Amino acid sequence: MIAHLIAGLKRAFGMYRPRRDLRIWPDDVFLVSFPKSGNTWTRFLIGNLVYPNERVDFANIHHLIPDPYGTSKRDFDRMSRPRIIKSHECFEPRYPRAMYIVRDPRDVVVSQYHYHRKCKKIEDGYPMEKFVARFLAGETCPHGSWGESVTTWLTSRYNDPRFLLLRYEDMVADPRRELARVATFLNIPTDVERISQAVDRSAADRMRKLEKLQSDKNSLTKDSRKDLSFVRAAKSGGWRDELSNDLAGQIEAKWGHIMTFLNYPLATRETGSVEPELAGFMPTGSKR
Amino acid sequence: MIWGLKRVIKYVLGTDIAGRNLAVYPDDTFIVSYPRSGNTWTRFLVANLAYPDQPVTFANIERLIPDCEAMSSRFVKQVPRPRIIKSHEYFDPRYKKVIYIVRDPRDVALSYYDFARKYRHIKDDYPLPRFVSDFVCGRLSSADWGTWAENVGSWVHTRNGRPGFLLLRYEDMLNNTEREVAKVADFLGIQTSLERLAGAVQRSSADRMRSFEKTQGDQWVATKNKRSDIPFVRTATSGLWKEKLPASSIAEIESAWGHLMSGLRYELTTGSADTVPATAAPPELVKERS
Repeated sequence: MIAHLIAGLKRAFGMYRPRRDLRIWPDDVFLVSFPKSGNTWTRFLIGNLVYPNERVDFANIHHLIPDPYGTSKRDFDRMSRPRIIKSHECFEPRYPRAMYIVRDPRDVVVSQYHYHRKCKKIEDGYPMEKFVARFLAGETCPHGSWGESVTTWLTSRYNDPRFLLLRYEDMVADPRRELARVATFLNIPTDVERISQAVDRSAADRMRKLEKLQSDKNSLTKDSRKDLSFVRAAKSGGWRDELSNDLAGQIEAKWGHIMTFLNYPLATRETGSVEPELAGFMPTGSKR
Repeated sequence: MIWGLKRVIKYVLGTDIAGRNLAVYPDDTFIVSYPRSGNTWTRFLVANLAYPDQPVTFANIERLIPDCEAMSSRFVKQVPRPRIIKSHEYFDPRYKKVIYIVRDPRDVALSYYDFARKYRHIKDDYPLPRFVSDFVCGRLSSADWGTWAENVGSWVHTRNGRPGFLLLRYEDMLNNTEREVAKVADFLGIQTSLERLAGAVQRSSADRMRSFEKTQGDQWVATKNKRSDIPFVRTATSGLWKEKLPASSIAEIESAWGHLMSGLRYELTTGSADTVPATAAPPELVKERS
């Protein structure tokens, strides 16, 4: 009851985090992804692109590209519009426009494993088999499973002018080209210098340095283990060193059809076999 | 500010609408659908099946199967567990056990048109074709629940065929109510007999619901203070769109959502699904299944 009253007081002063209660404006743009898919890097890239006069860091990122789970209602209200807002939600019809970052789920699970170690949610020797099983069941975060997040967004917004699909792997391979696509989507001039500057300012090395200095200033890293870094390898394909063939196979068995669609080559099976996700949803008898 | 204060007080007192902020328990079951798809009928069927000792009416349905978008957080919290909750939400990963009802969107559009008049969202002379355009483009008052295709697609593409998800077609429920209710009983783990099934179906008949609506319309949150000359319980039939919906409106719905409709076995009038642009689902995702 007292906790509830305190929550009410926080509400009265706008100190609570709005979460799903966030008031959305028609000119809002959302930066969405499943957790551990390059969202923070992209926030830095976009922050540095949109606000070239500010140096984006872990202390001000929650004000520049706010997070409904990390930024207070009051700070949301004080922001100038149009706002760019971070989100990990599954499909939200209320979001007027969305950029969705997708990453190979085999890399996502490894990244999430290490993030959970950092946040002291699991111990160092926690078996990867157990973690993968929970990951597949959507139990490692409150935003559904990887497959649910990706499927809800793709099936509702793919090829829609209100939607921009970004692959983390493409961003790693050619950040300038991908950031130019973002700039076009945001109606920001795509001049080469400004984009290059944003990419340089958001380099993994620089983010690691900032993280060391400012880890207490950001809810993402506050109270977590300091011996593990939030900004990790910043590369793709690392799963090959950390996932057994069997575990990679389990992920591919469940989401192989989505992975194939997203151009993530499967290592353990032929493409286009079992697709439980869309099973039973094809018209019977029609040829495709 | 005053509005903000009101919200704070509501939050503290627990009188705010539960909605998307509903506190979900792991043993909750949800009856989910896009609006006007047979949700209320299903609620009656399920309640009459699960609570055979008390006749279900509009006066007690919210206590038995609360509507999380009409009732307060406190009210929904106080319903004894395990709860069965009614919802119109698009995909919510926290809902682990879901009965999802889908209905032909061409019939949904017609039903929604009457509903919007009943709720005084539109006037009686509002052109039906314009309403259908609003429906297709997501301009209705329920836009926060997504369009028909967004709502349906977000659930079936993620959960269909998986444990903890039961998909019901409204049309199948009309055709063979006992069979579909038996599926529900099985899904809910209710031991049942043919008699009990038949009893639940009978106590949830459209006629009975209509007569309840007449006498209890002002006691139910969904019909209170709404126009009483337009019934909430409508025809309870399928296929009315063939007579009532203009060809252009049918074409509009089918060209927007034909792909998903065919997947749900709703036959298209405007050619096969192959010629319909698949805006409801990424074509490549689907092509893979050939």
